[in-house]
Amino acid sequence: MLIEDTFAEAFTMRAARIIITGKTDRWAREAALKLTGFATSVIGCKCEAGIERTLPAAETPDGRPGISVLFLTMDKQSLPERLIERVGQTVLTCPTTACFDGLPSAPDRLPVGKALRVFGDGFQASKVIAGRRYWRIPVMEGEFLIEETFGMQKAVGGGNFLILADDADSCLAAAEAAVAAMDPLPGVILPFPGGIVRSGSKVGSRRYKKMIATTNDAFAPTLRAITETALPEGVNSVLEIVLDGLDGGAIETAMRAGIAAACRAGVRAISAGNYGGKLGPHHFPLRTIMGSGT
Amino acid sequence: MSETIVLTLRAPLERMLDLSAVAADRFAALAEREIAGQPVRYGGLAAALGDFVVVRGERSTRLRLEGDFARADGIGTGMAGGEITILGPVGRDAGLALAGGTIDVRGSAGPNAGGAPPGAARGMTGGEIMIRGSAGEEVGAAMRRGLIVVMEDAGRGMGRGMIAGTVVVMGNVGPGAGRFVKRGSIVAFGALAPPATFRYACTYRPPHLGVLLRSLRARHGLPFTDAHVAGRYHRYSGDFAELGRGEILHWAEAQS
Repeated sequence: MLIEDTFAEAFTMRAARIIITGKTDRWAREAALKLTGFATSVIGCKCEAGIERTLPAAETPDGRPGISVLFLTMDKQSLPERLIERVGQTVLTCPTTACFDGLPSAPDRLPVGKALRVFGDGFQASKVIAGRRYWRIPVMEGEFLIEETFGMQKAVGGGNFLILADDADSCLAAAEAAVAAMDPLPGVILPFPGGIVRSGSKVGSRRYKKMIATTNDAFAPTLRAITETALPEGVNSVLEIVLDGLDGGAIETAMRAGIAAACRAGVRAISAGNYGGKLGPHHFPLRTIMGSGT
Repeated sequence: MSETIVLTLRAPLERMLDLSAVAADRFAALAEREIAGQPVRYGGLAAALGDFVVVRGERSTRLRLEGDFARADGIGTGMAGGEITILGPVGRDAGLALAGGTIDVRGSAGPNAGGAPPGAARGMTGGEIMIRGSAGEEVGAAMRRGLIVVMEDAGRGMGRGMIAGTVVVMGNVGPGAGRFVKRGSIVAFGALAPPATFRYACTYRPPHLGVLLRSLRARHGLPFTDAHVAGRYHRYSGDFAELGRGEILHWAEAQS
């Protein structure tokens, strides 16, 4: 098993943590799944989002089952815009749910509840509880409760590693093991389906000028013979794990757990995606993270 | 600087003592001797605070009063921050026009707690008042913002003319609660008869009460149960003699 001497290159993003509660875990999760749907990559979705973890009732503000969601965009301006759109269409609409800020100490505040309150058409009412303002928005079911502002902080997006395997089955099994190891860790999300990406991309296009990202041909097994391949002998399938986190430490911890879990039968090497270190300020050297050369 | 300033009553009060000079934020920069020299009125006559209490501690925004202050009026008047804990009952006007901070009465309170000074349009505009015993008449009258919690019964005219804010009462509520309320919430767990100028809206689970009651339980150790937190409440809107934007939330399990 080879841990390649390379690094993952990641970007500074802006993140919010949304706590969704519901009458049952099911309803909190229904809202969270809709909120984080179609939010795999800023390339096409304008945001990246995922479920951070399930919260027991004792850990939520209203004592009901909850889900913690991390929500990221590339810049300060677009984070509230995306949140207002998505929370308004997914959490507000979902039976029994309420929506709370998961970064209360963050000084940068996003007026998400403040914007959504106008759905109440003047019938909304606010309450300040322990110094935090909440909006009660009347709806057909009863009332939707949402915090007035949500905290925003700098975060790290685009942490990643590549699993290079003998065949597609062993590659998927290794990726699934990696996701299972990373999923419970706090402060990170895996925004792609099941936490796994099969279509890793490179910047730009060799043929289509308008494309900002196209297939990572260096890691595509079917192109081994006709492109400048990065694949070692015997590798017939590659999957990528992409992760976003609230800070570099959370990314490192999750990468360490994921890579360790992915190192199993049928996996030939672990690599990572980068842009030569020129684009992203956050570098995660695989061998340093794993604490060994191979 | 002390962690807490303690005021211990020297002897039982035989007349009314006006303690409207006693506010936690006002003592933040005062030495022990300066605190003892604060002006008070006893039976209408000018006196000094130190004539009635032993002062221990200085330069703190945490204040503890020990003794029976049932004849002491106006504790915490106009306070904008800090904490006052009274280990016993207090007289009328506790937290009058309170603007911020917390007053925790470990006993009963007289009339007009959190209310407005004579002639003023607004009562308290912020902060929290916990009354662990019962409250006299017109608690929270004309309050504009903030929270009052009464753990036993509340007297006649509770929340009269509220502009906004919240009053929570665990016990029974006297007649006329919420009369002339513009906005604001009255939450009641005991017997309560909504005024005729309120209209029943529905019975439901107000989501903010889960947050509020759990917060009070965690921050102040108030004994709200899961049945209160997750319970259903009858909602009455009113007062329709005013804006009609206020509400009475009456616990559906209450024994009326």
